[in-house]
Formats: sequence, C-alpha cells, structure tokens
Amino acid sequence: MIGYTKELIGSREWMMDCALPKWLKSEEAEGGCGVVGLTSTVPVEGKHFFEALAQMHNRGNGKGGGIAAVGLMPEQMGVSREVLDSHYLIQVAYIRPEVREELENEHIKSNFLIHKSIQVDESKDPGLLARLEVRPPTVVRYFCRARPEVLEAFIKEKGLQGLERARAEDEFVNQSSFRINHKYYATSNMAAFVMSQGRNMLIMKIVGYAEDVIRYYRMEEFRANIWIGHQRYPTKGKVWHPGGAHPFMGLDEALVHNGDFANYYAVSEYLAQRNVTPLFLTDTEVSVLLFDLLNRTYRYPLEYILEALAPTTERDFHQLSPEKQALYHAIQSTHMHASPDGPWFFIIARNCHYDGEMQLIGITDTSMLRPQVFAVVEGDMRVALVASEKQAIDATLTSLSQQYPSVPKRADVYWNARGGSHTDGGAFIFNLRPDGKGLKLTVTNKFGAEVSTNVSQWDQKADLELATPTPNMTPGAWARRLAITDAEPVFQEIVATIPKMSVNDVQGLLSDIASSASLGPSEMKRSIDLLTLLIDRRYPTGPYRRSRLVTLYEETLNRILRSIPVVQERKGGRYARVDVRHRAGIVVPADGQEVLAIDCRDFPMEGDEGPSFAIVEGVRNGWKNFIMFDAHGQRFFGCGIGSNSKGVRIDAYGTPGDYLASGLDGAEIVIHGNGQDQLGQILGSGKLVVHGDVGQTFMYGAKGGEVFIMGNAAGRPLINAVGRPRVLINGTCLDYLAESFMAGDPLNGGGFVILNGMKIDAAGVPVELPAPYPGGNLFSLASGGAIYIRDPHQMVGEDQLNGGRISKLTASDWDLILPYLQENERLFSLKVGDLLTVEGQVKEPDQVYRKVEAVPVATAANKVALNDDESAGD
Amino acid sequence: MNDDLCDTEPNPHVPSQRLKAVSRNAVIRNEASCISCGLCESLCPYGVHRRIEGHVHLLPPYEGKCIGPECAKNDFYCVNRCPTRSLSVKPNVTFTSLGDFRWTSEMILSTWKIAETGQPLPLDHPANMGRSGGGFDTLAFKIPAAKGNPDPDRFSTSIELNRRKEGPRLKIGIPVYGGGMSYGSVSLKVMTARAIVAKQWNTLTCTGEGGYPDALVPYSDHVVTQVATGLFGVKEETIQRAPMVEFKYAQGAKPGLGGHLLYEKNTPMVAKMRQAVPYTSLFSPFPFHSVYSVEDHKKHLDWIHSINPRALLSVKVSTPNDVEMVAVGSYYAGANIVHLDGGYGGTGAAPEIAKKNIAQPIEYAISKVHKFLEKEGIRGDVTLIASGGIRNAMDVAKAIALGADGVVIGTAELVAIGCVRCANCESGRGCPRGIATTDPQLEVQNETEVMVRRVSNLYNAWRLQWCDLLNRFGMDDITQLRGRTDLLRRVPEGVAQ
Repeated sequence: MIGYTKELIGSREWMMDCALPKWLKSEEAEGGCGVVGLTSTVPVEGKHFFEALAQMHNRGNGKGGGIAAVGLMPEQMGVSREVLDSHYLIQVAYIRPEVREELENEHIKSNFLIHKSIQVDESKDPGLLARLEVRPPTVVRYFCRARPEVLEAFIKEKGLQGLERARAEDEFVNQSSFRINHKYYATSNMAAFVMSQGRNMLIMKIVGYAEDVIRYYRMEEFRANIWIGHQRYPTKGKVWHPGGAHPFMGLDEALVHNGDFANYYAVSEYLAQRNVTPLFLTDTEVSVLLFDLLNRTYRYPLEYILEALAPTTERDFHQLSPEKQALYHAIQSTHMHASPDGPWFFIIARNCHYDGEMQLIGITDTSMLRPQVFAVVEGDMRVALVASEKQAIDATLTSLSQQYPSVPKRADVYWNARGGSHTDGGAFIFNLRPDGKGLKLTVTNKFGAEVSTNVSQWDQKADLELATPTPNMTPGAWARRLAITDAEPVFQEIVATIPKMSVNDVQGLLSDIASSASLGPSEMKRSIDLLTLLIDRRYPTGPYRRSRLVTLYEETLNRILRSIPVVQERKGGRYARVDVRHRAGIVVPADGQEVLAIDCRDFPMEGDEGPSFAIVEGVRNGWKNFIMFDAHGQRFFGCGIGSNSKGVRIDAYGTPGDYLASGLDGAEIVIHGNGQDQLGQILGSGKLVVHGDVGQTFMYGAKGGEVFIMGNAAGRPLINAVGRPRVLINGTCLDYLAESFMAGDPLNGGGFVILNGMKIDAAGVPVELPAPYPGGNLFSLASGGAIYIRDPHQMVGEDQLNGGRISKLTASDWDLILPYLQENERLFSLKVGDLLTVEGQVKEPDQVYRKVEAVPVATAANKVALNDDESAGD
Repeated sequence: MNDDLCDTEPNPHVPSQRLKAVSRNAVIRNEASCISCGLCESLCPYGVHRRIEGHVHLLPPYEGKCIGPECAKNDFYCVNRCPTRSLSVKPNVTFTSLGDFRWTSEMILSTWKIAETGQPLPLDHPANMGRSGGGFDTLAFKIPAAKGNPDPDRFSTSIELNRRKEGPRLKIGIPVYGGGMSYGSVSLKVMTARAIVAKQWNTLTCTGEGGYPDALVPYSDHVVTQVATGLFGVKEETIQRAPMVEFKYAQGAKPGLGGHLLYEKNTPMVAKMRQAVPYTSLFSPFPFHSVYSVEDHKKHLDWIHSINPRALLSVKVSTPNDVEMVAVGSYYAGANIVHLDGGYGGTGAAPEIAKKNIAQPIEYAISKVHKFLEKEGIRGDVTLIASGGIRNAMDVAKAIALGADGVVIGTAELVAIGCVRCANCESGRGCPRGIATTDPQLEVQNETEVMVRRVSNLYNAWRLQWCDLLNRFGMDDITQLRGRTDLLRRVPEGVAQ
C-alpha cells in the first residue's frame, strides 16, 4: 500500500456509520437500459442527442433518464476558463427547495469559497411539464474551492499530510458530498442530493426520458466535448426519484450502466471493508464507487482498473505475455471479489484533471452479455461514439451532420469489444488531449494500443464537398448508359472510375441514377439494382470515404422509392409503396405490381403499428417481394409471415433492428448493411444474406436455413442450433461460436458453419483477419455438426475447444462446402480462388480449411445411420 | 352461472384398469380352518366381516373398514377372539410401499379413486394433506360446517387469464390448466388425452419443450405453445395457432439448470418433433441466451407478439428471493400471466439437490408476489398462476387463498391416469406404467379414451370439492377466495399421521 492509501481509507471510517441498514440495500432493480456516449474534438450541442435518446425509448421506460457532459464552455457556464478548469463544479439537486438555505449554510458556505453559484434554467414548456410525471429538481451549480482553513483542519484531523494537498481537497469534496447525501437524501426522505462533483463536468438527471433532461434544463445549445446519455428501465417501485437515475457520480467522473450484476452484495462488502458505502441503492452507484476507489484511492492506471473490473481469464489470460500475466494475476488476487459478475456494460466519462485529459470509456463484462458497439468518424472534427445499439450512433451522427457537414451520417468504422480478452481487453477509451491547436482525439484499447481506422479520405476536399446537397442536374452520360445496360456492367464501370471522379461527377452519377429510375418500372429496377450493388460491395473509393458514399446511395435510393405511388392508389407498374400513414389497408397487388416498398422512416420500433406487421399484411394479400427502406432500428422484419413462406423475399436497407428473420421458414431476407442482435432465432428454412456484420446470439436455436454473412458475428452465434442450419461467416466471431451445436453429421444432411476469418479492405482486396477465431469456447459441448474454419496458419488450437476436436478436411467435406463458397462468391464477390490463396500461393483446400467436429458418442454412432431418410420416417 | 364450462358431464364408470382399491390393512382369513361360526361378524363394530345365512363361507373381509393391528387393544379384536385362530390383520404391503411424504399413499389412492368415480373427497379427508411437514402440508382451511347440499351449478370456478385492458379475453372454466410436458417426456397418447380434457373443461394444456405434435392440432384452441431455452420445436406455425404462449425461463424443480436429453431418447419421432437429428444428445441451456436483462425480456415478448399478436403471453419463472421484481418486470414487459413455479414439483428427471435446495417455497412466493403487485397497483392487470407440487383440490384452493388466480398442474394428471410416483421417469426405457415414455411397447398400457375419462373425472371431483368449500365460506365464485389468507390456518407440524 502506498503511503497515503491507508490514511485515505481510514479518513472515511465515519462514513461507515452512515451505512444504510442491510435490508434496505439494492431496493431498486433494473436490468437493461439504453446507453450512448460521444466524444468530439469540437464541442457539440446537447440537441444532437435527441434522436439517439428517442431511438432508445424501448430500452428505457421513462422512469429515469440522465446525461453527463465533460469539457464545458466557459461562456456558457458563466465563468472564466481558469475557474472552469480549477474549481469544483458541485451541483446540488433540490427536490424540496425549502432545504436549500440550511444546506447551503451548513455544507456549502461553511466549507467552500464559492466563486459563483447559479441556479440552472428550467423549461416552462407546458407540454413538457405535463409529460413529466415527477417534477425535476431545482439544480444549483456552485463553482467552489475548499476553504483553506477548513481543508487544513480536515487534513490534520484525518492524518492526510502524506497526500498532495490537491488530492486531499478532492477527498474533502467527496466526503462533503457524501455528508450532504446522507443527511438530505438517505435519511431525510430525499430532500436534496449532490448530482455531480467534478471539474469541468456535470451530470443532470430526472425521472423521465433522457432527452427531456436536455429539454427541461434547456441544454439544447449547451456544448461539451464528451456526452453520455442513459435511458433507464427500473422495474420496481411506484415512486421514482431522480437520485436513482444514471449517470452516477464519482469525483470528476460519471458512470452509466446497462445490465445488472449478481454479486451486488459481495461488491458492497468489499467496498465496506474499505470504508465505502452506497446511499442510493442501485448497483450502478456501487460500480462508480468501485471505479472511484480503484482510481483515486489506489491510483491505478486505467488498464489496472479495467482489469480489476473485467478480469482476463481462461485462454485469453494465457495469451498474455508472462509479465502481464504476473501483473494481472496480482490484480485479480487482490480485487477479484469486487469484479462485477453478470451482464453489464459501463460507459464512464471523466475529466483526468491531473493528467490534463478527458476520457470516455466503454467496457463490457467478460461474457459480453449486454449489447455494445463502438464507432469512429475521422476528420478535423474527429468523433468517437459508443452505444448499446448502432442506430443510436447513426441518429447522433445524422443530427451532427446537419450542423457539421464534415461529419458523415454514418461512422467510418463500427466494432465490438471482446470482453476480458487479450486482444482488446473488452474496453475502448476515447482520449481527448490538447495538442496545441485544439484537442486531439485518440482511441485506444485497454492495453493502450491505438485503434486506427485506416480511413484516409477525411482530409480530402472532395469528400467534404460531397457533404453539400446534390444540386438539380440535367441527365448525363450515366443516365444514357443505364437506359440500355444492366446494373452489373454499369456498376463495374462506376467502380473503375469512382477514384477519378470529381465531386460534380459523383453528384451527376447520383442524379442520373435517380432520374433514370423515373422513366419506367424496368429503369427503376435497374437503378435500384445498381444502388444496391454500390451499397453492398467493397471497392476503392478514391478521395471519398465509403461511409459518405454509402449514405448518398441510400439517400438516392430513398428518394427513388419515395416517388412510387402508394399501394392504395393501385396505379400498376412494378412497384407500390407503403408508409406509416398508409400502413392500414394494404391491398392485393394491382396488375403487374410485384414489389411492395415500405418506407420505415416514421414507423415505430415495434408493437402493433410496427413495420413487421405491414409485411405480414402484405404477404397475406399476395405480395411476394418487399423492400424495407430507411430502417433505423425497427425490429422483427420477417417475423409472423408464417411457415411455408418460400417465394417471399425481403430486401432491407438502412439499419433494420433486432430479431430479423427470427422464425423464418422458407422466405429469403437480404440485409444491405449491418444486422443487429438476435437475428435468425429458431430459423427453420429459407435464406438470409447480410452484407455487413450481425450482432449477438445470432441464430440461437436455429433449425435450418442457408445463411451468408459478409462481416463478423458478435458473441454467442448459433448457440443451441439443431437440425441442419448451413451458415457461412466471412469474418469472425467474438466467442461461444456454436455452443451446444446439435446439427447431426454435416456429410449426411446435418448442419455446419464455415468461418473464413477474412475481410475485404478499403481497396476492395480480400485480407486475412489477425486470427480466424480469437476467442474461446469454440464449438463447446456440441453433439453434432461441424465448423469449417479457414485457418491456413493453424492458429486455432485445441485449447479453444471444449469437447470438440480438430480434424483434417476430407474430399467429401470440400465437396460439401464448395457450393456454399461459390454462392458466397456470387453474393459478395469474395472469390473461392482468393480464399484458397495464402501469401500469394494457391493451396489445396485441406491446407487452408480445417474441420472442427463433435467427438462422436460410441453407441449412438452405430445405432442408426444419421441420414435424411431415417429422420423423416415416423 | 357457470357458462364457461362445456361438456362437464362426469364419466363415473371408469374401470380400474389394473388396480383394485387398495386398503390400508390386509385382513386374511384362513378358509381351511374357519368354521364359519360368525363370531367375528358379531364382534366387529366396523363391519369388516359379513356372514350371510345359508352360505358356507363368510364373505371376503371388507378390508377398507378395518382399523388395523391397533385394534388389538379392544376386547372385540377378531384376531384374538377367533376360536380357530383363522384370522390375521397386518398392514397392506401394497399400501405401505406406495407414495412418499409429499404424495402419500392415501393421496395416490384417493386420486385414483376420484379418477374412477368423479366424486369428490370430503374436505376433511386425510388424503387432502401430505406428510411432508412443510409447504401446503402445513396449511389448512378453517373449514366451517356444511350448509346443506350445494348445487354445483350455482358456483363459478372460472378465471380470466387476460386481465389487461387490451388483447383477447381468455376465460378458463376451472382455475387449473395443464403444465408443459413435452413429447418425449410423456407419450403422444398422454398429450392427446390431456388436450381432449382441456377442451372438455374449457381450459388449457401445454406442449412443453418438445414440439407440437400434429395430433394436438384439432385442440389447438386449448394448447399452449411453450417457448423454452432450447427453443426445440418452436416454429412460427406452432406459435400462430396457440391462444397463449408460455415462456419458460426457469423450472421450479431445477432453477438455474438446463436440460439434457440423452441421445438414446432422441428417437426419430422425437427428433422430428424437435427439428433435430435423431440419436444426437440434445441440450437445453439454463438461460435464454438472448435475454440478459428486462429490456431483452421485453424484446423477447415483443418478438412472439410480432409472430402472433392474438396470443396471450405467460412468463414462467422459478421463485428466487427477488421473485416479486421478476413478476413486476414481466408485467411491464408485456406479460399477461406471471407463472411462478415452485420447487415441490418436477418429475424424476430433476436432480434431488436442486428440488430441495434452490429458491424459496412456493407458498411464500405466491403471497409475496400477490402483495407486491397489489402495492404496485398492478395486481388487477396481472394473472398470477402458481405451480410446482399442487396435488389436489385443496392445494389449488390454498394457492388461491394465498394470492394466486389459478394454478398449473402436471403430476396430478399423471397420477389420475395411473402414475405410481416411482420417480423413474428418466431411466432406461422409461415409465413402467407407459405414461412418461414414447416406447411403443410401454405406451400400449394406456388407452386415450380411458385416460380422458380419468383426468376429466379428476377435474369434476375437484370442482365439486371447491363448490363445497365455497359454499361453506358463503362464496359463489372462486375468485372471491383469492388472497384470503385469513381463512387459512397453520398446522405447525403438518398432519404427521
């Protein structure tokens, strides 16, 4: 223990006398929540969070919302830069304003020199006030420093002479806030509490949705470099109070949490042994107390703190260097009892006052049981985001792009953290640090390694110019080409020329595609096919960043599709359209009508008015082809269309939501972009194609179907799949791929997964990922089926398995998987030849692919030939 | 008054398929030495011995009336007084070898009896209580004296399963429906018989996690489709034809544990139903891998709703310490029914250590959740169902008095069919009685028609018992009994008889 640690812990002994009775602990429970965080080199306004937070309503229930902001504007706070940086900003929420005078006199004025105190403006909007079932508290900000004589006495009394004076002042602030919270919150019926305590940062929270925090406290134009927002889903209690909402405060830090952990009691006990006790009765408060303890009392570097929270275990531990193993072993031995156990995802915003930087941290539990996605937008204005769902990120970027044209509406890269791993540590940190000109944003993983996006176009003038709206243009050469040529050859021509295209050329191209579509049904089909290829495929994009081009393609597509007459008009032609106003009364197709395009823009995310029911209604009325466009998180596409839906095809553009294709039995669904969580649950038969990544528990309990994924799958894909699902994933998976797989013998009609461990890079070239499968528990406890893994460097080891075995690929195996690789080539243009090429050499299939299979149970294998005919007989 | 019941005609004459009524005691007369003097008939005040003038032999002893060896203290004890020492009395070995502390021999036998006759047990009958010394065996009603012969038609025993403002109504005629028992865990005939009875009594039965056999389709308005953690046999069509979908998050008999069907039991027929490959071992994981929070749970329910918006949603959970939180969370996620499954139930397949050591007793959980939902102001919108070791009509009534709206039963129906509670459901080829098996050679022991009659009789007898109870309490509707813990008394040591 370092000299001061013992004293610091000792100084808090009195706080334990304030510990709440045990039976009171964790009275409130909450499970999931919606969380989003943003870091920007340019301070951005609170209003840009509106859409993101509204997007996540279905992850909260309006019983608690909050935001935190770090990196504030002196002019907006009404103090100088110097004061903002050096003074504590203590915010007290007065639920019962009558206690203010007493609280101020006893706890603020006597302890602090107040530079300035400001009561936060509140909205008078009657609509908003009517919506809020609990009146938000009056919040007063105090910019202050400890009174020197009081601090002196504190240091003396607590024996903190060994601690730097500034750090002692931090602790003084901390204990002072605790005293207020104990007296005015925990023991006096929630009259007032300290909402945040820290320099250059604040937290605001209410009983209500998080965007109403911004509205109520009039922070629409309030600017900050780091924001976090949280929609809460508490499940108990009739009377909620803002103290229970997130974020929770530590000194200079704010933490939001999605999930809950099982060892709340154990963590509380651990904290109690170190004189730390909670007052707000939620596991989130315990989390921030734990973080604060590791940070301020033990003064661990961030990496150690993250290791203490989410320990590296099993195979990942053994992949670490011996030095790291020794270090982590020591951390785990000391702090394992405090490691939260269960599903959790934290976003932490903090001002590292002593290091002169600000940070936003996202960290997942080791099993990745909560959804999480990270994203980066390159540029002079560099933005990094983290959220519980991708569409919250997209909504934030779309809002930002309107004010900051350099910011595209989609991020340059999206990725997931792999919890407790040796690769990224399950955490990413967005660091903001002054670099002379302004702030520099770096993205690092737990180990401090910088994440590079390899997006180079952000400083290109052309890319930026592309952000301006496309002007009206007269039809040009592309329109003439499209009039006579199929989409595929035109696409090839475009791909060849894009790198050389001027901004004007690109805009002309888009304008031509749109105007060509208006000529007739077959031209429209050609335009849609062309845009689809442009969205789906990977190719060099020259001076333009891919995210910007894809957004433009999608917008052009939306524009084309919105020009289609609504279905009720029965206009004829190939296409008919439905939007939220026309969702009722979807009629049978008129003569020649083949495709129903459903405009998802204004549809709710789920429920009886959701777009999935529009598809069901369409199928019932004889429609076979659907285009779902401008989706932004709407769930359940393809659910409810029933068994024997062969012949139905659904194309989804934008960001379709969770549970897509769950229950699919015959139909075909293509996602032109990323899929989200819980895709293809119990999938029975049919086809699913995803041109991007898929999220968690992909194809849980699936029974069959043919599925092709261009990118990666997140955690726990194909768990408990039975029967004969046949799945090809070109990227990789985070963990638990095909646990309890029960898909018989793949060579006799059973199921399998092909895992390629590849991606197509920005130049359109197939490249190998660092490892085809970096995680553990591959094919764990499986009783049937197989995984064919492209592993020419023999990187997958027996230690990644749990019950299965690795064997050599046979000729029959290759015959089995080759048609799937060929279909994969057709869909994604990832050539079989490229897959068989290793370091420039074309190899034999069995030198490239390996088979992971179940260890057969001796008697079962002999009992019955495991083939289709047998299983059909009943 | 009770329009919700259809076709409730009892089927009184069910043959005792293999069973004669078993008496507690065996009274054996040695016909070789008996001289037919008739002394025993004149001595016995209970009427065990009967002699008909002119017959050479006495009638066989009426063992059911004998009070057993304890009679030895009486001077009319026939064994001691018989001049030729031709009589002996001893415990009946069949009787003593049946049952256990929870399902006592009396309870099994009287369940068989009511399954044959359709007639109710008296409310003070010893078979209404087990001897476990806990749970429902330490609770009894403060039963007032009977007030005349109640007319069963005067009483309503039906309950509404959807108490939310929106969605279809679903009223069942008795406060009981059948729990999930999968194809594989029981035979197809048993499943079919349960479904037929469910239709007769306008109630429900449940598929369990083994798929939806085609034989049940004609009864689909009365069959609940279960969505359990292995997701076996769950298809859009099975969800779409169900009036209710049950999410099995946990099983009270083994909370926190998954299931494992060994490859031998995964026969081609079982595999077909589960959409699996025959003769591979099948696993059900312990959690839903897609649900790790209440908002995941809501999404999960929304998903099934998107497949069948007409189906009611039931969430079946075990009884952890914070079960009331689970109940409230489920309600807000959209559940119509919160189904608490306690640890007293479970077939032979649940490990003993789990049955006996995990989660809180169901009688505490019911009361806790009931009161908590009331405090939250949402009790009126939730249907609270209890299950796990509910054995007889009085257990049902006790669960309701503790705060449940109704109950789910499983084992009681199997006992009515003829289960002897040997607890070997999972072993070898399965059930010696041909119930918990799909083995064709074992299955033939039971005919669907007879099983239907027996289970239907059970329900009839139970309903008459509830009517009797309601009548004594001056009630005419079973819903009036809900939450009336004041009518219960605690039997400190249980009825250790």
